[in-house]
Amino acid sequence: MFGIDSVVSFVTLALDAAALRQQAIANNIANVGSAGYVPLRVNFEEQLAFARGDLTGAAVPAGARPFIETDAAGATAVMLDVEMVKLAQNAVHYQSLLKALDKHLSIMSAAVNEGRR
Amino acid sequence: MDYMAAFAISGSGMSVEKLRLDVTALNIANVHSTRGPEGTGYEPLQVISGARQAQLFRSVFAAESLRLAGGAEVLEVRTVGVAPRLVYEPNHPDADAAGFVAYPGINPVNEMVTLLAAMRAYEANVAAFNAAKTMALKALELGGNG
Amino acid sequence: MNIDTSTLLPAVAGTRLTPTADAGAGAGAGALGFAQWLERSLAETNTRLIAADQQVQRLALGETDNLHHVMIALEEAKLSFQLMVQVRNKLLEAYQDILRMQV
Repeated sequence: MFGIDSVVSFVTLALDAAALRQQAIANNIANVGSAGYVPLRVNFEEQLAFARGDLTGAAVPAGARPFIETDAAGATAVMLDVEMVKLAQNAVHYQSLLKALDKHLSIMSAAVNEGRR
Repeated sequence: MDYMAAFAISGSGMSVEKLRLDVTALNIANVHSTRGPEGTGYEPLQVISGARQAQLFRSVFAAESLRLAGGAEVLEVRTVGVAPRLVYEPNHPDADAAGFVAYPGINPVNEMVTLLAAMRAYEANVAAFNAAKTMALKALELGGNG
Repeated sequence: MNIDTSTLLPAVAGTRLTPTADAGAGAGAGALGFAQWLERSLAETNTRLIAADQQVQRLALGETDNLHHVMIALEEAKLSFQLMVQVRNKLLEAYQDILRMQV
């Protein structure tokens, strides 16, 4: 059987991160006029071993989870244009992950059903 | 992603900016008002908004599900407290003893800037809302036609 | 973002049946391995179907936090079940082949 399909669980984790990021960006945009608001961001990609250049490590470290943190770059105000760019980028990223997962699952389906859908 | 929560965040942002827009429009409409409802002059208003405390909720059912509860809210709508503009119009019915009429101290340029900024912010919140909606609808298409 | 795909591929390899310890020892040992695999797979398919049902229930109650989790759970349950159906079909086919064999 499939067991724990590592591709599916990895992509699911990436989808979780993108979904959380959408909420963080929406919160930043909603607070563009709030005084003293510190922009939020999601920490996820930094946790992945290969992002740190460690290609020999496992694709996903065991405890990698997306979480929200305040923007470490020291931004004290929301930059609306930057947030809009991140919004569009994240939306495309989420949808491309969905598409990739869909294709992966349909390959599995074709394997199971001998080419019939 | 609780798609309802994502909508709520953008919705709260939209409410705040809409109110800011309305208040700014009110100020602009009253730039020549010499009389208010109580008989005194019109006091220009401003909207003070702040962030709702952002909290991250972990779903009771699925440990990996995270939901951000936050957004923006209107803290208060208060008077700006700027001194009225005095214009010498001795024939005006509201002129005081020296012939000066007190117009609200609204700077139309400032109000226009606030108006445009509120509009931009409102549109940005709408864009965030649409992005969340598109992402949720795309997620429903997983699995294709099977 | 560069993804190191070499670490992702083993997932596909993992879907193959792993051969039992002494594959050539005869029908007895082979059948025992397959039966165990079948049992485990049935249990797993059942688990996935139940989990998918729970996700759908939570969606109906409005308690879902992740739409994509619901869809992925449903899709995996479906694939798991389809695999079971195919295994059943193949087993039936093999059984009928054996019945048809001339003594």
